Amino acid sequence: MRLVLAEDHALLRAGLIQLLEGNGFTILHAVDNAPELEQALLDPEAEAAVLDVRLPPTQTDEGLRAAIAVREARPGFPVMVLSQYVEQLYARELLASGVGAVGYLLKDRVADVAEFVDGVRRVAAGGTVLDPEVVATVMARQREEPVERLTPREQEVLGLMAEGRSNAAIAMHLSVTEKAVAKHINSIFTKLDLPIDEDDHRRVRAVLAWLRV
Amino acid sequence: MTWRDLAWMPAAFVVSFTINLTVIILALGVVTWFIWWFATPWLMRARAAVDRWFLAYSRTETLEQRVQVLAETRADLVDHSAAELRRLERDLHDGAQARLVALSMSLGMADAAFESEDPEQARQLIKDARSTTTAAIGDLRSVVRGIHPPVLADRGLAGAVAALALDMAIPVPVDAQLPGRPPAPVESAVYFAVAECLANVGKHSGARNGWVHLRHEDGVLRAIVGDDGRGGADPGAGTGMLGVMRRLAAFDGTLSVSSPAGGPTIVTLEVPCVLSSPRTTPSSGPA
Repeated sequence: MRLVLAEDHALLRAGLIQLLEGNGFTILHAVDNAPELEQALLDPEAEAAVLDVRLPPTQTDEGLRAAIAVREARPGFPVMVLSQYVEQLYARELLASGVGAVGYLLKDRVADVAEFVDGVRRVAAGGTVLDPEVVATVMARQREEPVERLTPREQEVLGLMAEGRSNAAIAMHLSVTEKAVAKHINSIFTKLDLPIDEDDHRRVRAVLAWLRV
Repeated sequence: MTWRDLAWMPAAFVVSFTINLTVIILALGVVTWFIWWFATPWLMRARAAVDRWFLAYSRTETLEQRVQVLAETRADLVDHSAAELRRLERDLHDGAQARLVALSMSLGMADAAFESEDPEQARQLIKDARSTTTAAIGDLRSVVRGIHPPVLADRGLAGAVAALALDMAIPVPVDAQLPGRPPAPVESAVYFAVAECLANVGKHSGARNGWVHLRHEDGVLRAIVGDDGRGGADPGAGTGMLGVMRRLAAFDGTLSVSSPAGGPTIVTLEVPCVLSSPRTTPSSGPA
């Protein structure tokens, strides 16, 4: 898997390169500013990108803008966006195109190497990986149709799906069997009227319906 | 000559004088009415100016009043910033700083555990250190949000308010029409004011819907936060709204609350300011 990496902090960039290369990824371009990132994302060999939201020159949200721009040019291009803080607003903007393959995590989640690398792989495979903090704020909303038809347990399962967890991980988190999780997920798909499809696509669509993007 | 003749003389004088005076006034009116037609407004204005000169506040008095307002708002502002600094100091001291001390201790103990060749304990201590680091980062993040929320720097007032509204439990549509950005201190004061209003909507109103309007008209930035809750809000009841009022007063801003029992509650914030030229930002997508 060939990646574009954008991170302006030299130490963090070096750390991310080491971490990703150590887990079987190839870093095609590692850049530290927005103009170079735009160039790097034009490379047809790039298969996914790991981006910091804040980059020079303006140090605001150019990483996010670059992610949205590249996904307009190449729909479904997998991006994992990292940030010092997360906003539900930005998660919605990233997913507004209605296509998955989006990750949006707090930077400190990188500390859990195994989970982070797994997240990048899930995003590259077309899944969504949202930070638990984003999931918690979405969870706090008063639900509207059709999501309100879900039971509290099903909503919990859906939240964990949005975080990009596998059925096994969800089962472990909720201390139930994988079979029970699969049952909940099937019930979610039915209640959200999601047609039979490849399982991963349905998961992404369930998350999109939940966010109402 | 009889007494009647004598009486006739003053009577005739009075009658003819009255008739003549009436004729003269009428004649004058007929000849000069168009002068009055045009002159009256000017005369009245001159009269008003004279009245004003005698009766209105003098320039000195106006300036004295202004000085008093400025002195009051400045004192409030100084108090407010001192309190804010104390709060920040406490947050950092009790939060991130304490956790960094714990982190340093865990690492020191891990080091000692390696010395005494107890890798299992060392690993546990490093694991502790990592979770302490995560907590410290979380603390710092919330302190930063309290000083200057990153989304405000990224997206300006409209975007930051939209982000606030999204995090509400109830639907809060934001209708923002700002053709530029207010000065940074005003932007920040209005952001925190709207945040406080929305927090109150969430905590006290029992509302099912809220809304926020942002406008800049006639040199005044106006933010309106409304909800369909139970009403009866008293801006003097909590310290939050008083803090907001003090902070806005530093910019000659005002806050008014309309909250009849049974709702709706409408809070209007007004701050006179100029907007900087619009920054070229792409639209912020669906909310």
